Amino acid sequence: MNAEFEPKIVGFLCNWCSYAGADMTGTSRIPYPPNIRIIRVPCSGRVDPLFVLKAFQEGADGVLVAGCHPGDCHYADGNSHARRRYALMHRFLDFMGINAGRLRIDWVSASEGRRFAEVVAELTDQVRQLGPWQPPQRGKA
Amino acid sequence: MSESMETTIRVRARDLLEQEEVSCVIGYERGPRGDVRPTFIYQAEDAERLVWNQECSHNLMVYLHDRKRPLRKGEEPPRVAIVAKPCDVRALNVLLHEEQVARERVFVIGIACSGMWEDGEGSQLQARCRRCKERVPVLYDTLVGEPPEVEDVEEDWADLAQLEAMSAQERLAFWVSELQRCIRCYACRQACPGCYCYECVAEQVDPAWVGIAIDLPEVFFYHVMRAYHLAGRCVECDACERACPVGIPLSLLNRKFAKEVAELFGYRSGGDPEIPPPLATFKRDEDLPL
Repeated sequence: MNAEFEPKIVGFLCNWCSYAGADMTGTSRIPYPPNIRIIRVPCSGRVDPLFVLKAFQEGADGVLVAGCHPGDCHYADGNSHARRRYALMHRFLDFMGINAGRLRIDWVSASEGRRFAEVVAELTDQVRQLGPWQPPQRGKA
Repeated sequence: MSESMETTIRVRARDLLEQEEVSCVIGYERGPRGDVRPTFIYQAEDAERLVWNQECSHNLMVYLHDRKRPLRKGEEPPRVAIVAKPCDVRALNVLLHEEQVARERVFVIGIACSGMWEDGEGSQLQARCRRCKERVPVLYDTLVGEPPEVEDVEEDWADLAQLEAMSAQERLAFWVSELQRCIRCYACRQACPGCYCYECVAEQVDPAWVGIAIDLPEVFFYHVMRAYHLAGRCVECDACERACPVGIPLSLLNRKFAKEVAELFGYRSGGDPEIPPPLATFKRDEDLPL
């Protein structure tokens, strides 16, 4: 769409895997798109779907929720809850008119620095294709 | 049919109050303007006020929330009897599972329901009733009426198909045009048996999740939030939609979740108080499309 368009992506990364994975990306000097703004959370299960909704309301073009691989959660089952929530949220956002491609949920472990870079690059590309997200604008009819 | 049911309800209500099995019967009465409204019967002689017909579409389970007061020491738990259609009983099951009401504190006067009229006597049935296959409650202490025969049930989810066929942009435009009428009166929330938080996210000030503006995008956020909180819990009684003064098709939001929950988790809310709703549980090894 717009060649100049640089999407803003909010990333909710779990402290124990994905945030450490992002750290690994940095210490391994693997380049990844600067479009992502990372928010560290204790667990992907901490990411209330309202966080995602709020991010979209405030104008984020895309949202990434990343946690430990299923079965590896630091809190045993936080990501299993998250998995159910976001499987639903994905479909519902699409129903409300927020293209499901703008939300990605993925699992990145602390050693997967390269994978984190890939996930961010893929999502950034995808959101760039979708174009800027315009949250519903003020002004009643 | 409904007259004999009405008589049966009155008799049951009077007996329950006379024998002091319950302190109150929650049912329907005819209001001064001739329309049916919820009522609370405390005296046996007032049981004559109770009515039953196909205009009794309120979901009375919402009034159980007012009866959750913690007991004083040595106090017997108050019991109420409540007139319940099959859809209302599903709402009760949700509340039972969430331990919002105790089973022994509710006496369920179950109704064999032949559907509610859309628009006064003799009009067609409400959309939810045209789809409904469940004409006898899944749980009751006494059943009133004979199970009616249900012919030609409409296909489920047909109402969603039109929206789902649109592009994401068209859907957004649709929802913006619908939701911008919202005046944030919260009638949908007050009418909902599943909405019982002491402090609603929409009114929380710290953190202020939803701004106080009666405008987009706040109303958009509010309605998506409310629909999400009801995911896997909504029993599709459509009380919210009937309560809405500006006619927002709220049932579409809730039914979308109901459909996805059925597809992803094979779950229908309110069927059994023992089975947890899908977002309150999980399976270790499940493969969900993300």
